[in-house]
Amino acid sequence: MTDDPGLAIRGLTKSFGEIEAVAGVELDVPRGAVFGLLGPDGAGKSTLIRMLATVLVPDAGDAEIFGLSAAHSPDRLTPRIGYMSQRFSMYPDLSVAENLEFFARIRGVPKPRRRERAPELLESMGMAPFAKRQARLLSGGMKQKLMLASTLMHDPDLLLLDEPTTGVDPVSRREFWRILADIHAEGRTVLVATPYMDEAERCTHVGFMDAGRITHSGTPQELKDAIPGTLLEVIAPDPRAVLAALRDQPGISGAHLLGNTVRVLVARRLADEAPPPGSAVIPDTVRDLLPANAEIRPVEMDMESVFSHLAEEAAA
Amino acid sequence: MNPLDRIGAVVSKEFRHLWRDPRAIAIVLLMPVVQLLLFAYAISFDVSHLPTIVVDADRTPASREYLRDYVGSPLFEIVEYADSPGAVEQAFLRNTAEVGVIVPAGFGRTLAGGGQAKVGVLIDGSEPNSARVAQAYTNALNLLATQQVAIAWADTQGVDVTGLGQLEPRVRTWYNPERRSAIFLIPGLIVVILAIVTVQQTAVSLVRERELGTAEQLTVSPLRRGELMLGKLLPWTLLAFIDLVVITALAVWVFGVPFRGDPGVLAAGAALFVFCCLGIGLVISAVAPSLDVANIAALLLTFLPAFLLSGFVFALNQIPVALQWFSMVFPARYMITVTRGVFLKGAGWGELWPELAALGIYAVVALAAASLLFSRRTR
Repeated sequence: MTDDPGLAIRGLTKSFGEIEAVAGVELDVPRGAVFGLLGPDGAGKSTLIRMLATVLVPDAGDAEIFGLSAAHSPDRLTPRIGYMSQRFSMYPDLSVAENLEFFARIRGVPKPRRRERAPELLESMGMAPFAKRQARLLSGGMKQKLMLASTLMHDPDLLLLDEPTTGVDPVSRREFWRILADIHAEGRTVLVATPYMDEAERCTHVGFMDAGRITHSGTPQELKDAIPGTLLEVIAPDPRAVLAALRDQPGISGAHLLGNTVRVLVARRLADEAPPPGSAVIPDTVRDLLPANAEIRPVEMDMESVFSHLAEEAAA
Repeated sequence: MNPLDRIGAVVSKEFRHLWRDPRAIAIVLLMPVVQLLLFAYAISFDVSHLPTIVVDADRTPASREYLRDYVGSPLFEIVEYADSPGAVEQAFLRNTAEVGVIVPAGFGRTLAGGGQAKVGVLIDGSEPNSARVAQAYTNALNLLATQQVAIAWADTQGVDVTGLGQLEPRVRTWYNPERRSAIFLIPGLIVVILAIVTVQQTAVSLVRERELGTAEQLTVSPLRRGELMLGKLLPWTLLAFIDLVVITALAVWVFGVPFRGDPGVLAAGAALFVFCCLGIGLVISAVAPSLDVANIAALLLTFLPAFLLSGFVFALNQIPVALQWFSMVFPARYMITVTRGVFLKGAGWGELWPELAALGIYAVVALAAASLLFSRRTR
């Protein structure tokens, strides 16, 4: 992977007045990866992505993308990247097809290719019937798909997606990630910022960003392995009450809802006393906080727990 | 890859925006016609048929003779005959009259006796333009009356005045002999309309791209600033020329404004002026933080100077010197000289080249400034 460079970010820095939004980010993203950029609001994810997209000029540092400098040769780089900003940024009065046509044309996609690519993309996204609809009349999910299609018209090697599914209904989100899986299969590199941990699970690589820095990065499995502790699943009649009871208790480094269950991350020293995962024996400190009829079992680590653990670690 | 194709993409996109926005089309195509009708019919500095109240306290053949001049003149329209001078003030307050002529008792007797008869003329000065004209008319009328009195007196004394030498001034007004204000206003109005249409529209155009977030998408593309600017200028240049042709046609065929000069000079001037305006619009667009600010700035920087500091309504040599200098910052004054020159005076390249050169330099500077200001990437 190292002899085929994807992204190599070195000391990338950007301040807005007093606030240092991105503070010397160091990060490598292998070519062909689906890289999930995680982190709390205000961590600097958007600023980082916008510098990679050449929309912002960094104060210091640089990012080499496929061997091209984002800071110094943006014009050579832009034809090879597709950038999807957090907010809808297509012309609302133009139709779906007209938006695709315009953005492809200014990116130098030849006419025959445009004529072929637009219907193909719309078809694959289930948008074909809406080609003539004005963009402002699309639903939230369809707007996101239109933007994604627009970034794909010129066959970029790198896709930069800034929270593409925020505020989109769960069905559309799943659909969106199915399309991303296809894009990944085509060998393109994807860097996607997301607040959703179930989406982070689907990435080949993830990075955790906080206060302008990437504090942890690796494959989801690597990050999970690095988290000290055991994840327990609690099934109880009132999961919200359970969650409230467990929050901020000593020895518990995180708890969140997943469907109708509560997932509790217990620190290693508690888990150490417990038998290996698979057993139904649970530390007493946790057991005591739960209703008697609660069913408890250890499960595999998930990204939500990784995220809350890292966020808490960063806050501390 | 191909700059022309990219510019073409922007041009066709701009036209699409326009066709989707009926209000924009209305502003571009209907506003000029409405403004033209408004200025040509409703707004007029021509003064005639001044409502006049007459007070004849003398009631002699001499006084009736004197007042007949007012009755017969198209400049005055007698709206009321009254007996007391107090009626004049009443009429002024009610706005029923603007001129009051008072012939006092004893007018005829004094005149017959060779004395100096006095006539009172009161003018409502709250509207200075009419007042000035009314004063000039009444002065002339009284001068004429005095002359007639003198001739009549000479007659009675048996003096033949036909042999007397006389002065006859031959005053001619060139270019607009009837001094119709429509002919004076319409060539200037063309400039005002072109300025409004072009500056307003381009001023909001880049700001809108920023607010939509599409400016960011344009950044992530090989589209260069200059190409974007050009792509935005071309459609508006075309529309401005459509406006120019429509207004010129209406002016010549409907309002009888003469077109004495070279259409080539007008076209060249208009093209340069449109580029100036688009440049100003794009500068506003590059600097303005929001659509509202862009709109207001466009209004302040075009509408007002085009009206007040261009010679459109107020002659430039009549305004304070500081403002005369200030007016040079706005391109409208040069263009109004061009349109008046071409329409009314039949001026050509030889006479108007300084204005055309000024417009050319202005256009280059404005467009360069716009391009520079916009090319600064977002902080």
